[in-house]
Amino acid sequence: MKAVLHILEHDFRNFFRYKWWLVGLISMNLADLFIMAIVYNHMLSEEVAQQIKNYFNFFAPGLTVTGLFASAFMIGREINMERRREVHHYMLSLPMTRMELAIGRVLSGGLRGMVYMSPLLAMCFVFLGFPTVSQLLIILAVLFLLAIGISGLSIAIAVSTSSLEKFITARGLVYYTLFFCSSVFYPLSLIQQLGQEGKFPVALVTLAEINPLSSASDMIRSFLLGTPSFSLNMIINVLIFSTIFTLCAAFAYIQIIERT
Amino acid sequence: MSQIALFGLIASRMINMQKVPDYFRYYVSGLSVMTLYSAAIFIGFDIYEEAEHGVFEYLLSLPVSRRQLVLGRSIGGGLRSFIYVGPLIGVSLYVIGSVNPIGFLLSLFALFLFSFGVSGMSITLAVMIKSSDRFDILMGVLDALIVRLSTAMYPLAVVQAANPFYGGIANFNPVTYASDLFRWGTGIEAIITLENPLIPLIGIIAFFAFFTFVGITIYDRRIEGGGWQ
Repeated sequence: MKAVLHILEHDFRNFFRYKWWLVGLISMNLADLFIMAIVYNHMLSEEVAQQIKNYFNFFAPGLTVTGLFASAFMIGREINMERRREVHHYMLSLPMTRMELAIGRVLSGGLRGMVYMSPLLAMCFVFLGFPTVSQLLIILAVLFLLAIGISGLSIAIAVSTSSLEKFITARGLVYYTLFFCSSVFYPLSLIQQLGQEGKFPVALVTLAEINPLSSASDMIRSFLLGTPSFSLNMIINVLIFSTIFTLCAAFAYIQIIERT
Repeated sequence: MSQIALFGLIASRMINMQKVPDYFRYYVSGLSVMTLYSAAIFIGFDIYEEAEHGVFEYLLSLPVSRRQLVLGRSIGGGLRSFIYVGPLIGVSLYVIGSVNPIGFLLSLFALFLFSFGVSGMSITLAVMIKSSDRFDILMGVLDALIVRLSTAMYPLAVVQAANPFYGGIANFNPVTYASDLFRWGTGIEAIITLENPLIPLIGIIAFFAFFTFVGITIYDRRIEGGGWQ
């Protein structure tokens, strides 16, 4: 456990080294909320306006989840860089087991995401209203699971790509697919409607439905706004995503650093 | 491309047709300008990389004047971003459909000037700010504000209705000028109700001229005696 704490300390120090990058990310998030969401609110169709009432309120939970995603994903870039610069030889020389090292990296990626996301979530509560204590605990637990899963996904991509360009390309593909094929920016019903009309591939509709970003955003909305209604599937989706990618990342990380 | 296929298609479903009759085409044309802006900004990052790897000294030793150097870099940065965005513009044209050839050529010319202007702005800021970290954050903040406070993603009338202050900034934004001209040139001006294309064209020319002139002046002063280090 102590070894994992050392890894956490190491990764958090690195995280705060990117303070300029974090400020840039925060300003982009805030511009999305306080400019884009406010303007979109004035363009909503009557049907969507009836469903979500206010785009600003609808988008705030989605923005919290995108912030969590972007910051938890940062660990992958560092691990990819370590692999290319062969820093992993140093990591392997540390007095800890491979599993402690791998779990520490996945955990620190997730915790960094939670730290970055906290002010966004607090802002969400200020504008949308506060949840009950039990709802707050569920939100934090689900977001933590999601952060761990994202961190795992990012590490799995980082260790499977040999160059920064390949990592950035893969990251872009994952970012855009998961962000835009989810209910972060628009209600899930719109995607399902397009699928029923045959204008959107069924596979992408299914992806949007099981997407953990959709589940986490909709869960926060269900607690703070009352719509969509809460479903246990929201938690199960995130749990499955988190379990798969945490395990994948841990084993891939161990395999790769021992092989190279 | 995924932004067009996913965000553009789905977001167009939630937009009021009376306010924006065809949001999908509106968004696709704006996306080309947004991408052009982001691509043209990259020249500034090259300046830091060159300074770090000692390429700057080599460039200064070339038999070209400082002015030619900065002008060449501005145009080079603009051109390469154009090449990068070319396929996206092609897709936009395919989605938009019919194009008025003369209007389109004029709007393409305006987009060239816009990308040269953005490259000039990026070079000017890169030379003024010596820390690549600070430049990175400034570009991130500028990107967030300039693109969102423009008509790239939504019409000016909606921005003004949402917040008059935002509308005021969007009215004097080069991204607005470039987006409006591109839409005018591709024949979807009915969506944006552009009364006079000459106004954004003058705006783009002023933006290009200002940053090229200022860029040359500042670059000229900063690089003497290792001032970029």
